[in-house]
Amino acid sequence: MKILRVLALGWAMHFKMLSRSAFDGVLGVVWPLFFATTAFFMFRAGAPSSTLLYASLGASVMGIWSATSVAASSALQRERWSGTLELLVGVPTHFALVLMPITIAMSTIGIYSMAATLLWGRFLFGIDLHIVHPVLFVLAIPATIASIGMLGFLLSVSVVRYRTAWALGNAMEYPVWLVCGFLVPLSLLPGFVRPISWALAPTWGIRAIRESALGGSPLPDLGVCCALGLGYGTLGVLLVETVLRSARRTATLSLT
Amino acid sequence: MRVFFVGGLLSYRALFNWINPWVLIPSFLIAPLFQILLFAYIGRAAHLESDKFYVIGNALQYAAIPCLFAMGNTIVNEKRQQTLGAVLATPARRIPLFVGRALPVMANGMLVAAFAFVAGGALLGISVPLGAVAPLALVIVLTAFSCTGLGLITAAVGLRVVDTAVFGNILFGLLLIFCGVNVPLDQLPGWMSTTAQALPLTHGIEAARRLADGASVSRVGGLLAAEAAIGTAYIVLGYTLLRVVEFESRRLATLDRA
Amino acid sequence: MAVVEATDLHRTYRTTTGVFRRRRLEVEAVRGISFEIEEGELFGLLGPNGAGKTTTIKMLITLLIPTSGTARVLGHDVVKDAREVRKRIGYVFGGERGLYDRLSAADNLRYFAELYSVPPREQKRRIAELLDLVGLTGREKERVEGFSRGMKQRLHIARGLLHDPPVVFLDEPTLGLDPVGARELRATIASLVEGGKTVLLTTHYMFEADALCDRIAVIAQGRIVGEGTPSDLKAIVADQTVIEIEVFGAGDAEIERVRVLPGVANLAVEERESAQVLTVTSPSGLELTTSVLACLNGVRVGRIVTREPTLEDAYVSLVTSQ
Repeated sequence: MKILRVLALGWAMHFKMLSRSAFDGVLGVVWPLFFATTAFFMFRAGAPSSTLLYASLGASVMGIWSATSVAASSALQRERWSGTLELLVGVPTHFALVLMPITIAMSTIGIYSMAATLLWGRFLFGIDLHIVHPVLFVLAIPATIASIGMLGFLLSVSVVRYRTAWALGNAMEYPVWLVCGFLVPLSLLPGFVRPISWALAPTWGIRAIRESALGGSPLPDLGVCCALGLGYGTLGVLLVETVLRSARRTATLSLT
Repeated sequence: MRVFFVGGLLSYRALFNWINPWVLIPSFLIAPLFQILLFAYIGRAAHLESDKFYVIGNALQYAAIPCLFAMGNTIVNEKRQQTLGAVLATPARRIPLFVGRALPVMANGMLVAAFAFVAGGALLGISVPLGAVAPLALVIVLTAFSCTGLGLITAAVGLRVVDTAVFGNILFGLLLIFCGVNVPLDQLPGWMSTTAQALPLTHGIEAARRLADGASVSRVGGLLAAEAAIGTAYIVLGYTLLRVVEFESRRLATLDRA
Repeated sequence: MAVVEATDLHRTYRTTTGVFRRRRLEVEAVRGISFEIEEGELFGLLGPNGAGKTTTIKMLITLLIPTSGTARVLGHDVVKDAREVRKRIGYVFGGERGLYDRLSAADNLRYFAELYSVPPREQKRRIAELLDLVGLTGREKERVEGFSRGMKQRLHIARGLLHDPPVVFLDEPTLGLDPVGARELRATIASLVEGGKTVLLTTHYMFEADALCDRIAVIAQGRIVGEGTPSDLKAIVADQTVIEIEVFGAGDAEIERVRVLPGVANLAVEERESAQVLTVTSPSGLELTTSVLACLNGVRVGRIVTREPTLEDAYVSLVTSQ
C-alpha cells in the first residue's frame, strides 16, 4: 500500500512537472510528428495505402519512446544539475521506488504525442483509424507505456552513476525506433538484429497495438511486453543498490 | 540527438564534456548513422528511392545541425553564466564574435557529415565515383555555410527568449520534411516544394545526389550557386535580426534575465 | 552516547584532467577528521571554502562513502545502515538549488513527505506547521520558480524537517541571503535547537557561528585545526592584543617587515577599496604600535585601532597558521 502511494505520488508530481515544460511538453509532441510526417510522405509515395495505417500506429508509439529515452537521461541530468538528485538519494525510501515513477511519468507524457500523431495522420493524411479490438487496444497502450517506462528506468539507473550517460539515452532514440519495428517490418532487417528486437519490450508493445487495431491476436504480444517490462524493472531494482553505492564512492551524484 | 544540444547544455560543463568519448560517440557517430539507417529502411519498406538517396540526404542534414544550434547555444550558455552582458559590452564586431565561437562546432558538423557519409555508405553498400569525393566535400562545406544563416536567426531568438532549443529543433524538423532530405520534392504538396526552394540545404542535397550519380561539378554549378545565394541571404537576414534584437534587449534589459 | 560520531574520516576524490592525454589527479579533501556531537547540541563546522566542510557533511548524510574511517549517526553506521541514518536526519544546503521549480511549494513538500514516509494522515498537518514555521503560509500554492532566494531557502528548511528528524545538517544555509533574510533564518535555526534537535551547521560567517553554536570545530585543508566552545576558541587568542592599522599603498616589502617584527604572532592583510587593513596580533602587554609604524615608514597611515581579539581573530589565526 505504501509502495503504491509512493509510486503514484511520484508519478503524479513528475507528470505535472513534465507537462509544464515547453521542452518536454511542446517539443515532445512536435518532434515525433516531424518523423511521422516524413514517414507518411514516404509511404504515401511508394507503398499501398494499407501500410499508412500500419505506419501511423507505429509512429504514434515513437513519441513514447522519445519522451522516455531522451527524458530518462536528460531529466536525471537535470536533477543532478538542480541538486535534487542528491536529495532523492538521501531519502529513506528505496531509490528504485523513487526512480521508477519518474521514468513512467516520462513515458506517460508520450501519450500526448501518440494522440497527436494519430490525429495528424487522420486529418492531414486521411489515415482512418479503425480499431478491431477496442478493449485490447486500450489495454495495449498502458501496457506499452509501462514497459517502455521500465526500459527507461533501466537506462536511467546507469545515468545515476555516470555523469555522461545522458548522451547514451539520446543516442538510443533512433536505434530503438528502427530495431523495434516502429515503422519498418522486422522482416526487412538483417537476421542478427532479430534477437535484439525480441529482447526489447517496445517491439511487442507495438505488435500488440497493431494487432488489436488491425485484427489479430494481441494477447500473446501483450503478455511478452508486460513480462519484459517486469524483467527490466527487476533487473533495475537489483542494480540500483550497487550503482548507488558506486556513485557514492566515486562522488558522481552532484556536479562538483 | 536534440537533447545533446539542450539537456546537456543545462550544464555549461557540457561544453567541456564534448571531448569525452562517452558523449562524442553516441551523439556524433551513433545518432547520425541510425538516422540514415532508419530512413533507408523506411525507404525500402515504402519502395521509394535508393539507399544512396537517404545516405546523402541525412548525412548532409547532419552537417547543418551544429550550424543551427551552435551560436544559439553559445548565447544561451553565456546568458546562463551571466557573461553575455560583459561580452556585448565590448566593442568587438558581432559577426566574428559569434561566428568565431561557433566555428569549431561547424567544423565538427562537417566531420560528422563526412563520417556519416562514409560509414552509412559502407553499411548499405554504396559506392560513389572517386572523382566525386572532392566536390562532395565542397557541398558539405557550402551547406554548412548556408545553414549558418538559420543559426544566426536561432541565436537572435536566444537573445530574446531563454530556450533556443525548442526553436532550433523545430527548424531541424522543418528542414527534415521540406528540404528533400528523405521525401523527394515531387512527392510533397506543391506549396511545400515551392517553400523548399527558398530554404538552405535543399539545393545542396540535390547537388550532392547528382554528384554522387556521376555528374560533373559544372553540371551542378547552378545548384551550388543557388545554395550559396540562399545561404548569403539568410546570413544577412540573421545578422540584421541579431542586431535588432541586441538593440531591443538593451532597451528592454532582457540580457541577463536568467 | 554521542548523536554524531566521526572517527578519522578520510575522503579522496579522483578526477581526470586533460583532453587528449588524461591524467589522474587525486585530491585529498578530508584527511582524518574526528568529532562528536552530543544530543541537543548545535555544532559548527567552520572553515574557508574548499576546506572539506561539504565533503564531511556528505559523508555523514550517506551521500558519499568515506575513503576510510567511520561515522555513526544515533548509533547507525553511515555506510552499512544508510537507510536507518536517512530516516533520522534532515539535510539542508544553501543556495537556490534542490527544489523543483515547476512545482508549487506545497507539492515540493508533499513529494518529499511521501519519500520520507511521513504517514499520510499526518502529512497535511505537518506541512501546514512547517510552512508556518518558515513563514510561507499563504504562498504554498505558488510555483517555486517565482520565489525569492530567501523564500526558496526557507522552503528548503521546511523540506529538511518534514519527517521531524532528531538530527539536522545545515550546509551553509545562509549563503547568499540578504542580511534580514539571514537573520530570520538564524532565528529559525536557534528555535530548532530549543525544540531539542541536534544540529550540525557549516558556515564561513564567524558571527553566525559565534551567535549560534555551542561548540565549533575549525577545519582547514581537510583537518580539524581547533575545536571547542566559542569562548574556548577565543581563549586561544585571549592573551593577545589586536591592532588594526589602515594603510594606503603599502608594498610587499613593508608588509614583510611587519610580519617578521619580533612579537608579531600573526599578520593578516585585507584589501579594501583604496586602503589595506593590517591586522597585527601580538601578545598582550607588548606595545607594538610604534614599531609597526616605524616599519611602515613613508606609507600613509589612516585609522589605528587597538582591540580585544574576537572569534574571527581566533579563526584567522587557526586557519593561517596551517
